Amino acid sequence: MARIDAENWEPKILAFCCNWCTYTGADLAGLNRMKYPDNIRIVRVPCSGRVNPQFILRGFQKGYDGVLVCGCHPGDCHYTSGNYFTRRRFLLMKRLLEYAGIETGRFQARWISGAEAAKFRDTVLKVTEEIRALGPNHRMKEADDHE
Amino acid sequence: MSDVQNTLRDRVRSLLAEGKISCFIGWGPTRFKDRTIPKFANKPEDAGELVYNEHCLSNLAKYALDFQFSAEVAGIAVRGCESRAINRLIADGRLTRSKLYLVGIPCEGMLENGSTAEKCAFCRHRNPVVYDELIGEPVAEQENPPRFEQVLELESASSEDRYDFWQREFAKCIRCYACRNACPACNCMECYTEQYRTGWQGKQANTLENSVFGFTRAYHIGDRCIECGECERVCPMGIPLMKLNRKLVKDVESLFGSEESGLSDDASHALGCYDKEDLEEFM
Amino acid sequence: MELKKENLEKALTALTRLGKVLVPGVVDGVKKFVPYAAGADIDLDMVNTTLPPKDVLFPQTQKMYRFTTGPDAAFEEISDAEEQILFGARPCDAQSIDCLDKVFLSGEYTDAYYADKRGKLTIVAAACAKAAPTCFCRSMGVDPGGAPNADLLLAPTAGGWNLHCQSDKGKAVLEALSGLLEDADGQALPPAQPELVVDMAPVAEKISTMFEHPIWDELHRPCIGCGTCTFVCPTCYCFEMGPEMHGAEGTEMRYWDSCMFSEYTRMAGGHNPRPSAKERLRNRYLHKLSYFVERYGQTLCVGCGRCVEKCPANLDISRAIEMIGEAKTE
Repeated sequence: MARIDAENWEPKILAFCCNWCTYTGADLAGLNRMKYPDNIRIVRVPCSGRVNPQFILRGFQKGYDGVLVCGCHPGDCHYTSGNYFTRRRFLLMKRLLEYAGIETGRFQARWISGAEAAKFRDTVLKVTEEIRALGPNHRMKEADDHE
Repeated sequence: MSDVQNTLRDRVRSLLAEGKISCFIGWGPTRFKDRTIPKFANKPEDAGELVYNEHCLSNLAKYALDFQFSAEVAGIAVRGCESRAINRLIADGRLTRSKLYLVGIPCEGMLENGSTAEKCAFCRHRNPVVYDELIGEPVAEQENPPRFEQVLELESASSEDRYDFWQREFAKCIRCYACRNACPACNCMECYTEQYRTGWQGKQANTLENSVFGFTRAYHIGDRCIECGECERVCPMGIPLMKLNRKLVKDVESLFGSEESGLSDDASHALGCYDKEDLEEFM
Repeated sequence: MELKKENLEKALTALTRLGKVLVPGVVDGVKKFVPYAAGADIDLDMVNTTLPPKDVLFPQTQKMYRFTTGPDAAFEEISDAEEQILFGARPCDAQSIDCLDKVFLSGEYTDAYYADKRGKLTIVAAACAKAAPTCFCRSMGVDPGGAPNADLLLAPTAGGWNLHCQSDKGKAVLEALSGLLEDADGQALPPAQPELVVDMAPVAEKISTMFEHPIWDELHRPCIGCGTCTFVCPTCYCFEMGPEMHGAEGTEMRYWDSCMFSEYTRMAGGHNPRPSAKERLRNRYLHKLSYFVERYGQTLCVGCGRCVEKCPANLDISRAIEMIGEAKTE
């Protein structure tokens, strides 16, 4: 594996996408041949409510530079209320992460519906650029030499 | 305080003699003048060994879990902090109110190394919020103790300084889990750290894993913390854990308008419910 | 020979030429043995550090080896032992190292990681002239005025320490300190007399018969099941091993475990032979006061009082010793 250094560094972003809205939106973006950066790694989840806040910490530990959680718009949840819980959970988690010293912007959440392919593309573009500006994340990250 | 101690002993003696309770959880003496130990009075004659003084630092509420599967009624001394912890444990489905007999004691704060204990400094509920009988007269509550002062101070530091602050503090952690075991809100049957090979929590005691544990625990109890300060008191390494918990308490109060945890045994807590009108930041 | 207090910093600096010097100090409010560096917050007057020196020989997390899985499976041993000088360890600390030596070095199996570090360790013990309220070393057979297994003993005087060489490693330390020592001995201070005294004699007599004794039904009740006592204990040596994986690569580690944790004895399938605090506390006390004595002829408690000081519930092993001594047996 080639070493990653300052020259060839690219932000690596973990994106949790709800199966019913955002993942479908991402699919639609693909069908429409929309271009967005390949910096995100999508994990499909049945509902944004499936995303345990510990997943976010785990993402930073394992070397992601940013974590994005996406779900249906409030009111549109396939399971009626899952994303209302998500909203509370991550309003709190976002603040805790910032208090813990993770830079603002490393963790983000967005509501993107199945029809919003363009919003998905724009979100990925915007989040990637924001995290690129922040640079590689070293906080809460396991040591590079696997120790 | 010796009046309270005498009344407590008399009452416990009668309660045990009458068979109203099978055991009473209070404090007892140790060989050191400035320390007490949780004491379990099983027989009327044990009541005379109960102690109540300014060194009763332990929050007793979690010992009530020892009786969770017992058919008998357990008695327990409750000050403000214990009463809220009992409410918390009932709300979390771990205790049944009818199987507890709560002897309330208004409290003016305990001593630690000769001055007011840190855990009592920001107390807003010196009088028990629930009890079956009260010993002594209610005391005046502290008016608006600046409980979020330390949080606000750290919030105003730079992101880098905040990170360094917590990493330095968690570098001290020895992962004894005293914070978790003393905490009335940490009442899971099985803690995520004990889940074998789930990979949630590395067992290696390094700063990163320690801080992952610290932040995760804080989040897990964030909406249920009763601010009793036991975690910080029992930490053998002196990590300022309440500075973390109060951050979450503060955010839960300001974001969701929740009342303080443990004021009632109502099961709702901020992350267990929602409001359609909650703040929208993710659009 | 006497080392004057004013020469202490110079002496420690001189010793850094022999290896890493660990001295009692305070880091972010925690009293422990810290690598000496000029200007460090060191304190040789504190009676006991909060954290014991066992970490020096038996780290809380010891990386054992790196490995790769799959067709190209490979191992790479990790050896991080270096020359270390434990300076200012108390007689109880020195005795605790003797206990650890028995566990890791005696018998059929020698622990390579421990042996490696132990061979490179020089112990410079400092006798105690004062005791903390929680100290009860004398009751556990430890002399606060001596440390037989130390390489060099520092006996406190009014203005410093008299040096007593006890081994070849001790001689090397003396050579490194040449020029910093007074030829004459100073007026030695009398060794500490801990106020806390318990009688081990009746315990030794009957403890092996007390496994089923009702005393355990009450003794454990204040215990909250944390690992504080075992982690601040200088002699508790239980560990667990496990890997940290990164894809196909991993590092095998061993880390301190605690017999007070509920999952310590949990077996595959969920059965736990020590299901409650009662069995766990009984095991800890019996290990300290009975099992270890049967195996090695000495107690695994050195009377340092760290667990007494730090227990969140104020459980007190010295009180347990008294209660066991007073207990009626058939």
